[in-house]
Amino acid sequence: MEFCLFLGCNTPAVRPDVEKAIRVSMDELGVDLVDADNYVCCPAFGSFPSTDEDSWLATSGWNLSIAEGKKRDILVQCGSCYSSLRMGREHIMHSDEKRQRVNELLEPTGRTVCGSSRVRHVSEVLYKEITPARIAEKVKISLEGLHGVVQYPCHTLYPSEVVGFEDSPREPKGMRQLVEALGATVDGYSRELQCCGGAGGFMKSTPEQAIEFAKTKFDSILEETKADFIAVSCITCLMHMENVQNTLNKRVGEERYKIPVFDYNQLLALCLGKEQKQVSAICNVSRDKVHQFIANAKVAA
Amino acid sequence: MNPQTEANKDLWKAIYNTGDLQHCFNCSTCISGCPASFGDPPLLVRNLARKVMYGLEEALFEDDTPWACVSCSRCEEMCPMDVKPFEMILHIRQWQASNDETRVPPSIVEIYKRGYTQAVGTNVETRQALGLDPLPIITNNPEQLAMFREMLMKTPVIAANDYMFGG
Ligand code: SF4
Ligand code: SF4
Ligand code: SF4
Ligand code: SF4
Repeated sequence: MEFCLFLGCNTPAVRPDVEKAIRVSMDELGVDLVDADNYVCCPAFGSFPSTDEDSWLATSGWNLSIAEGKKRDILVQCGSCYSSLRMGREHIMHSDEKRQRVNELLEPTGRTVCGSSRVRHVSEVLYKEITPARIAEKVKISLEGLHGVVQYPCHTLYPSEVVGFEDSPREPKGMRQLVEALGATVDGYSRELQCCGGAGGFMKSTPEQAIEFAKTKFDSILEETKADFIAVSCITCLMHMENVQNTLNKRVGEERYKIPVFDYNQLLALCLGKEQKQVSAICNVSRDKVHQFIANAKVAA
Repeated sequence: MNPQTEANKDLWKAIYNTGDLQHCFNCSTCISGCPASFGDPPLLVRNLARKVMYGLEEALFEDDTPWACVSCSRCEEMCPMDVKPFEMILHIRQWQASNDETRVPPSIVEIYKRGYTQAVGTNVETRQALGLDPLPIITNNPEQLAMFREMLMKTPVIAANDYMFGG
């Protein structure tokens, strides 16, 4: 298997340990990655998609053309990048008029776009191509004894017609099965499918309400599960779900919200025996307990 | 842009010219479960659809709530009439931004200047410590960056607001 890796902005700039985790796990699982050279922002929905269709689709076309040139599908981790690239491709593929216009804009740059490269989310590739069963065979360290909860990136669920890969978008199973493949017990909770609320303008325009909104999710996790960690698969979910816990603690005046948040690829890399200081180096909510658990299991193994 | 008090019956054509919106029957499914519907003021997708359909141009022009959308696309999934409410929100933003330069998001200036919303590539030491190679980013490739900018120059938002982009 081979892909063109599209990292977006936040992962390489703010959480490069997630990038490292993706690179080493994919390598170990036999997936060949080449970088999307000279890629640009996906574009994020709050940028060109909010101003006009030409700049939106030309930017999508610029990125898609890089992968098409390499004759590879694109691999993405960030939920927004995934959804933006998927939607951009959908528009370009399904309207001759739009495709012509984008190619007209791309032409002086020596690029073309036809839609030959698909856009794949890393959790889809792990779930549908590599499969939880193979992951379970490959891992050297088991999380058996730990409880986790999962956060489905809504950008990989909705609209299922455009972005979906789950058998049922109303009842997704991918993240659960992927975490179970690492040996952990996954606890369900009533707000499992609730968005973290971290993307777009919600936090910016009404932060108070956005924090309250996230609180309902965390309260549901605390009341209904024994979560030792939260597994996400989107850089925005990762950063937001950490930051909000710290904000909430300041509000309530105690350390009530302290569940470590991991990108799934980080847990995977750790269970494959990779160096914690490289694949899980940066966090805003302490991961010590989980790291310690893994270090002990490593010694035992 | 001249906001007017009477309804503009053709507003939907200027904003969201698809047949999709005609099918909206006001059910509010798009509001239930929308994260930004918990905001203050709340983002009420159904009401935005009404404003577009009824041609309430002035009210819609002043409305900030489309910008609170988190882009989760839940409304798009759940709408029983396939109105594609998230696409409608993007189109309302586009209409506002193309008629009011103060709505143009600063992030597009960043993307125009360096290719990204974040300063990708400046965390050299952190990346080295993690054993990561430098990324082949466009910020470090003047020739490609120039081509990218020239391409964007031909698009409406940049052509109309070129002073924001340093020329
Ligand atoms: S969605 Fe976010 S992370 Fe992805 S490329 Fe755009 S701005 Fe960067
Ligand atoms: S949960 Fe929030 S941040 Fe995560 S994918 Fe959904 S909208 Fe994006
Ligand atoms: S896409 Fe926007 S409007 Fe639709 S449910 Fe999500 S936040 Fe609400
Ligand atoms: S869910 Fe669809 S049909 Fe119902 S009010 Fe919203 S846009 Fe209209």
